[in-house]
Amino acid sequence: MNRFGRWLAAFTLTLGLVANAGIAHAAGPLVLAAASLRESMTAAADAWAAKGHEHPVVSFAASSALARQIEADAPADIFVSADEEWMNYLQQRKLIKPATRKSFLANDIVLIAPANSPVKLAIRKGFPLARTLGDGRLAMGDPNAVPAGRYGKQALENLGVWDSVAAKVAAAQNVRVALAFVDRGETPLGIVYATDAKQDKGVRVVSVFPRSSHTPVTYPIALVAKSTNRDAEAFRKFLISKDGKAIFARYGFGAL
Amino acid sequence: MSTILSALPGLSGEEWQVVALSLKVSTVAIVLDLPLAFALAWLLARGRFPGKVLLDAIVHLPLVLPPVVTGWMLLLGFGSQGPFGKILNDLFGLTLIFRWTGAALAAAIMALPLMVRAIRLSLDGVDRRLENAARTLGAGAWGTFATITLPLALPGVMAAIVLGFARSIGEFGATITFASNIPGETQTLPLAIYTALQIPGSESQVTRLALISVALSLAALVISEVLTRRSGQGKAGHAI
Amino acid sequence: MPFDIDIALTRGTARIEARFAVPGGLTALFGTSGAGKTSVLGAIAGLITPERGSIRVNDEVLFDHSARIDLKPERRACGYVFQDSRLFPHRTVRDNLLYGWRRAPTQRRWMALEEACEFLGIGHLLARMPRTLSGGEMQRVAIGRALLSGPRFLLMDEPLSSLDEDRRGGIMHVIERIRDELELPILYVSHDHREVDRLADHIVQMGPEGCTVRPGPAQGRKAGPDLTPSDAPLALRARLRSVHPTPTSA
Repeated sequence: MNRFGRWLAAFTLTLGLVANAGIAHAAGPLVLAAASLRESMTAAADAWAAKGHEHPVVSFAASSALARQIEADAPADIFVSADEEWMNYLQQRKLIKPATRKSFLANDIVLIAPANSPVKLAIRKGFPLARTLGDGRLAMGDPNAVPAGRYGKQALENLGVWDSVAAKVAAAQNVRVALAFVDRGETPLGIVYATDAKQDKGVRVVSVFPRSSHTPVTYPIALVAKSTNRDAEAFRKFLISKDGKAIFARYGFGAL
Repeated sequence: MSTILSALPGLSGEEWQVVALSLKVSTVAIVLDLPLAFALAWLLARGRFPGKVLLDAIVHLPLVLPPVVTGWMLLLGFGSQGPFGKILNDLFGLTLIFRWTGAALAAAIMALPLMVRAIRLSLDGVDRRLENAARTLGAGAWGTFATITLPLALPGVMAAIVLGFARSIGEFGATITFASNIPGETQTLPLAIYTALQIPGSESQVTRLALISVALSLAALVISEVLTRRSGQGKAGHAI
Repeated sequence: MPFDIDIALTRGTARIEARFAVPGGLTALFGTSGAGKTSVLGAIAGLITPERGSIRVNDEVLFDHSARIDLKPERRACGYVFQDSRLFPHRTVRDNLLYGWRRAPTQRRWMALEEACEFLGIGHLLARMPRTLSGGEMQRVAIGRALLSGPRFLLMDEPLSSLDEDRRGGIMHVIERIRDELELPILYVSHDHREVDRLADHIVQMGPEGCTVRPGPAQGRKAGPDLTPSDAPLALRARLRSVHPTPTSA
């Protein structure tokens, strides 16, 4: 019986439904933030605490997982998504406070190669991505799942090269693993956020995707509908303020 | 097996491909694991050597490490740029990363500790006095192993196979980190469920895949329990 | 000398020393529990390695520490009947009986399956699984299994202790017949006076001060007129003699 219990628990955990339900009642607001914000949001939370506020508790995961946690009644206060779609998902279900929703950060997606790779490639309509890859794979976040992957797929579709590389994609469970695939030289090329590429010395940016090739990469923030923390709104205002955005800018994010 | 599964109502061709791949990956993982798990279980149950505690701990590492860490270590070691990956590629032309073979390796490593445990328990349950009796009757060490130890440990070995299979079917973290999520190549059941979970409004597909996953794991665990119980009865039989 | 034993070994914290030589027949190894009787049998069978000394049976060296001789258990041709029959639970009675027979060199097989079945009265059990047998039946099969392995001597470790009173008589009679009709040397561990009185030609008393050998109550009964072995056991005994000749010194 015990073994069954463990398996069931493991299965539930795999679904990621209860992952962060346990860490609820610190005095600071509980922030669920997209994984790509790890360093920048941590710095912002530190800066906020340095002003004498309770330190926010921040939990990082894929936006999709976080949204489903909120749907499953995780006691969160603030949600920062890496794309608009998951924020829409929560808004439709009346799980966020619509008046507090604001898209406050922007990012670029870039084509990267290992730092020592001699590859040269300019991104334009019909550019020879498949030929450059050869037998190698294209590392990116899962194009069905991870926002960075979805943006990348959209851009490649608009540039008319998706069909020629779709079978060569190495779909990673998040952008950081895609970054590692390129860093380790396991794939000759990869698509990640500009902010991720900036932090990894093992990769270099081959070319930046034109913003016209994909939906703008924006990071919406909103208060969770059931939020009761009294600091939550103040922290949200701090994040979208000039001071707040300046912190994110240090990590390569654009301001909106 | 395949006819039963393809007859499952509402299962699309792609989903069927996912199930077939899962079964293939898990089967290869278990075939890979079985001799190794048996050798390790034997060493741990019967061996006396310095560093046994350490070996025990290393075998159990995948059980306690976050699977993503295991996947990461596989990436470093068995990627095409990793030391073991290079050797396998040079010697056998075998590529693991981004291939179903890599998914099988990840599943094998995650299932290994469970299999070693089950086999070790069954070996511990074999009455050494019966082995001694066989020796006095003229059987050598290997003969005793083949005619007494192995048959008596067999229910535990079967349980290990089933348990390892269930674990392989459920393997996610190490697989997606090392082999990535490639439909038709490395996208096993849990990865397909994960992918579907990312798409808003895909609940019915998630439910279907999850039910298959639950059914496979449940079937495996029930078989394992039955086998374990049967081996327990065998032991009670000769203890009298 | 059928049994010429001089060994020392350590089991747990206990130091066990045994030194005795006995001429044949059934020798009872007698002593309080914990004196190390079973360990001595284990050492003779090759299941336990003594720290020093030597083991000779029928003048063949099975173990000699200083000469670095240590025959493997399967090479010692000893028939070991354990306290708890130790039948293989996954094999039929027939397969249990033939386990040692199949592994013995052809020229060493001095008993056939049919003979064992008749000798022990177990022919009707052949197709059964061990767990379906009574305690007495199990012990008969265990004795048959040991005899069929073509042994030159028997080690018996309290073969009656797990049986109730009614069944003991039957097994004891079987042991007497092995002793008298087959003249197979037997080393017999017991702590029961009644068994020893009825069966033993010699008694080795094991104690803290060492081993003392004295004649057993059963000695001399062989001359008795009531014992006239039938032809079948005589043929068996002849075959046994030709396979394992009795040393002239005995």
